Amino acid sequence: MKKLQDTYNVVSNEQLCAKFYRLCIDAKPVALAARPGQFIHIRVRNSLEPFFRRPFSIYRAKRHVEILYEVIGTGTQVLASKKKGDILDVLGPVGTPFCLPPKGIKHVVMIAGGVGAAPFLFLSDVLKERRYQMTLLYGGRTKGHVFNMEEFKKNGCKIFTSTDDGSVGVKGRVAVLFSKIDPDPGKTFIYTCGPRPMMASVQDFAREHELQGQASCEEVMACGLGACLGCSIKTAKGYKTVCGDGPAFDLHELIFES
Amino acid sequence: MNITVKIGNAGFQNPVTVASGTFGHSEKYYNLQEVKKLGAIIPKTVTLKAQEGNPPPRIAETPSGMLNAIGLENPGADRFIEDKLPALKKIGVPLVISILGHTDEEFRILAEKFNAVGGISALELNLSCPNLGKKVLVAQDPEATCRVVRLVKDISKYPVIAKLSPNVTDIVTIAKTAEEAGADALSLINTFSGMVIDIKTRKSVLGNVTGGLSGPAIRPMAVYMVYKTAKEVKIPIIAMGGIMTAEDALQYIIAGATMVAVGTANFINPQAPLDVLNGIKAYMKKNKIEDIKEIIGNILT
Repeated sequence: MKKLQDTYNVVSNEQLCAKFYRLCIDAKPVALAARPGQFIHIRVRNSLEPFFRRPFSIYRAKRHVEILYEVIGTGTQVLASKKKGDILDVLGPVGTPFCLPPKGIKHVVMIAGGVGAAPFLFLSDVLKERRYQMTLLYGGRTKGHVFNMEEFKKNGCKIFTSTDDGSVGVKGRVAVLFSKIDPDPGKTFIYTCGPRPMMASVQDFAREHELQGQASCEEVMACGLGACLGCSIKTAKGYKTVCGDGPAFDLHELIFES
Repeated sequence: MNITVKIGNAGFQNPVTVASGTFGHSEKYYNLQEVKKLGAIIPKTVTLKAQEGNPPPRIAETPSGMLNAIGLENPGADRFIEDKLPALKKIGVPLVISILGHTDEEFRILAEKFNAVGGISALELNLSCPNLGKKVLVAQDPEATCRVVRLVKDISKYPVIAKLSPNVTDIVTIAKTAEEAGADALSLINTFSGMVIDIKTRKSVLGNVTGGLSGPAIRPMAVYMVYKTAKEVKIPIIAMGGIMTAEDALQYIIAGATMVAVGTANFINPQAPLDVLNGIKAYMKKNKIEDIKEIIGNILT
């Protein structure tokens, strides 16, 4: 049986653009067990600061496990300092993965805000094998939040980009790209991940057009195993843990409050 | 080497357990062969009726600690007994069931329900519950502590452990009251009341506004309370508060604890309870200690 938690070597840690990094970990057992939408829970160093592990969506799981991250606080600062050969304490893969669209739907739209793109390369790897048509709507704050999306293109994704300041792509929030979606509930399925207000706008759009979808959520997390019940969020079915019941939820079950 | 300990008439193969609220609900993830090695398991507090818990955010990271206001989310006693207890019993480790009643009557019904199911080793009373008609918690009021402990002790077929709150002027007074009321042991301590404010929004970071602090941040205060209390009571103490390693646990044992519970550390390192157990054994071997009782409360001054 694969160990729930183990230590692995860093293969590479590359800065993709001003804001984002991509960390590659030599964790084949994790890669083999992983499914799109799941996450790994990393103890960034053996110290009390930062105290919690940090959860990261799995960006890619082939020979290695990769994550996409933005440097926000202490945890990601420490992570950004990791070099090839450094050892990382990784727990996972954990969490409920994305589900596939209902039968008959062959076009998916992935809507990502910033580092919310993190679960989607792995998802596109799997959907490509299953011959889905894919569109990626990507919204970043500035050009510092836009990175090379060649691998998404290679998987056959049509990509549209927006930035809040218009420095790359269309000016505005990712909602300005919703016109690219074929709003036919019999043809299109949505996956989204990003800031809560952004996912709320996706939910509004999906509701209006009766599109089904899935959303990957984030919350401050402690155990990552469904034990502490600390990362619960509000859903139509009561409080649900992001780490165990999610991160992937039915888009329409989520209750977003300002 | 003897590391067995006793609470009332219940025996435990070793002194290491897991603190209530930090283990369980997720049996599928744990390697049960490893969990079997623990002295006991204390699952998350069970209330009479299901509780949905507090609005999010429920937790915050603090320096060397964790602030939480989960709100005792649990499925209620009947569903716990039906859905959770069978799997917990299957592990084969003594179970200490943590219960919390919002009234005396609820404590009584809970005690009776667990009397009826059998197969558990002890009841832990979570006394950080409202004290009806008063603004303080039961654990903050010696009279109420005495009343609840006596009530449960009178009917429980299991040893009764009173879990005390550190948010009191003098924990020794409450501890002695619980002992006089018949408690077989004390759990020291629950979380310290705390708060974190987001200065950008000028709001508390927790949905519940205030919460309870745990983790290494509180350890020296908890060790102090165990030390002070152990000198004044005869009943055993189960100590908890920021135990991450065997060294931390040994501080509590030397201060006077008979058992130690790993809590928040479970969230950081799921191996922590076993690391603590192995570390205690290694310490005893290195220091040629034959029986753990030789060091319980054996602090040199």
